[in-house]
Amino acid sequence: MDLADLPSRRTEAWKWSDLRAAMSSQESVLIGTGAMPAEGPIAALAEMLGDGYGPSALIVEAPGETFESRITEGDAGQYGSVIVKAGATATMIERIGVSGSRLRPFLPSYTRIEIEPGAALHRIIVQANSAPADERDAAIVLNEIVVKLGAGASFRQFVVAEGSRLTRIETSVTAAEGAVVEMNAVYLAAANRHVDLTSRVAHAAPGVHTRQLVRGVARKSGRGVFQGKFLVERAGQKTDAEMAHNALLLEEGAEVFAKPELEIYADDVACAHGNTAGQIDENAVFYLRQRGIPDIEARAMITRAFLLEALPNWMDEVVRGEVEARIDAWLGGAS
Amino acid sequence: MLELNNLHARVVPEDGPSREILKGLSLSVPAGEVHAIMGPNGSGKSTLSYVLTGKHGYDVTSGSATFDGADLLSLEPEVRATKGLFLSFQYPLEIAGVPVMTFVRAAMNAQRKARGEPEVSAPEFLKLSKLAATKLRIDSDMLKRPLNVGFSGGEKKRLEIYQMLMLQPRFMILDETDSGLDIDALKVVAEGVNALRGAGRGMLVITHYQRLLDYIKPDRVHILSAGRIVKSGGPDLALELEKSGYDQFLKVD
Repeated sequence: MDLADLPSRRTEAWKWSDLRAAMSSQESVLIGTGAMPAEGPIAALAEMLGDGYGPSALIVEAPGETFESRITEGDAGQYGSVIVKAGATATMIERIGVSGSRLRPFLPSYTRIEIEPGAALHRIIVQANSAPADERDAAIVLNEIVVKLGAGASFRQFVVAEGSRLTRIETSVTAAEGAVVEMNAVYLAAANRHVDLTSRVAHAAPGVHTRQLVRGVARKSGRGVFQGKFLVERAGQKTDAEMAHNALLLEEGAEVFAKPELEIYADDVACAHGNTAGQIDENAVFYLRQRGIPDIEARAMITRAFLLEALPNWMDEVVRGEVEARIDAWLGGAS
Repeated sequence: MLELNNLHARVVPEDGPSREILKGLSLSVPAGEVHAIMGPNGSGKSTLSYVLTGKHGYDVTSGSATFDGADLLSLEPEVRATKGLFLSFQYPLEIAGVPVMTFVRAAMNAQRKARGEPEVSAPEFLKLSKLAATKLRIDSDMLKRPLNVGFSGGEKKRLEIYQMLMLQPRFMILDETDSGLDIDALKVVAEGVNALRGAGRGMLVITHYQRLLDYIKPDRVHILSAGRIVKSGGPDLALELEKSGYDQFLKVD
């Protein structure tokens, strides 16, 4: 694979996340030859940098199982598959850590997931960046899953991402009849960090229920990208889908790019999307200050509450505590 | 306690030219007194409340404002609050995701910290909150909901007074606290306000109508017009206004 095979900003799906430019400093990791596979660049890079044992597979047959994984700089690419068998339920927690160590700071992961009819999967991604704030790290984090969701099955996901030189977390779901999809996320883009949350839900059968709430914040020279697409196929009657992306630009020079898309071919559906990007309400800040709360704390309190609204109620207390602690640390330390 | 001397202030909108709103306002509210400010729309009532509490977008161009003899205008809003200045907002802000009690406790502790006092303990806070809520007939569920989100106009005003009772300020500015209240709610709110009247406290009640002053009896009434106090008097002045309107007091330029 060559640098030229990677998508650049001229590729529509990558126009705000120029992978080719980001990879140009790490060209040496690109090995092998051959055309880009149909699965796309993340799958190709994850396989190329995998441990050489081919795709790993995880099969969940019992209810209530939890799987935790941790990816840090220097790890191999992750290329695998997960099957949640009918009647089983599982929770996947993925922690992706960037520390700015520059030791092969390239973390590609690609997972194909099948959730059989009636099964349920909860997935949580905590993508942290402990490199000093404002310092330019070199890490490229690419994480993609492709989910096949069976009839009456559910897929619920929560992502908190702090970004890196380039971070892209991509989720594609194809949902069968009566399935439930929930995809919430919080992104925190400090200076010199790039966070891209891209998702696509195909409502391929009747009665799919989808909720997506993404909240993000960006500071000066931080960049957030949200690309969300709901496709409702002709067979997707009675789809009930809502997408919302709201961002706060905390400082001048912060950037947020958003592309919410609805593509609907069925005629009996309820689909809504909302997208906002703006600044914190100074009148609200003043209200808090008038009650004696100092300016910095007032802003943190409003921003924190704004972000926490995207945390799902199904998350267990320990993980929720971990996510809140990341948000608090970011709000308190990234300024 | 609060002394305003020949205060001139401009509102500075983010877009558009600034306008002078206060044009030489002088006023003195001694400790222990309640003064009412009445005036027609656009006379500068709300501007006065924002200038005193330090809202962004208002520039004082000349004159002075002191609180307990010290300059007020150079202080940040939160410092003014810590010194005991409280504004009951005409339009209280909705703060999504922050429950009322969490917010009030944070405010209480921020003020205590700034004054070098220990934080309020959880049992003490709950006791104070219960007392204030009972007095104002506020449902305890309301205090767990996000601040002002989805609250009716009357509920918001009641919640302003709840915050006032909790924070125990020394000087209160009530900006059109009566708007949005029916007569029963008005009585409840007035009772809460009157509970804070006392020797060490001052109050400025800004209102359009005399009605509120039936329940919060002022020591002095001032008529504000075109950015200046054009007439001051005793409580009877409010009644006179109610009867014959503002026109007689408005200067014709």
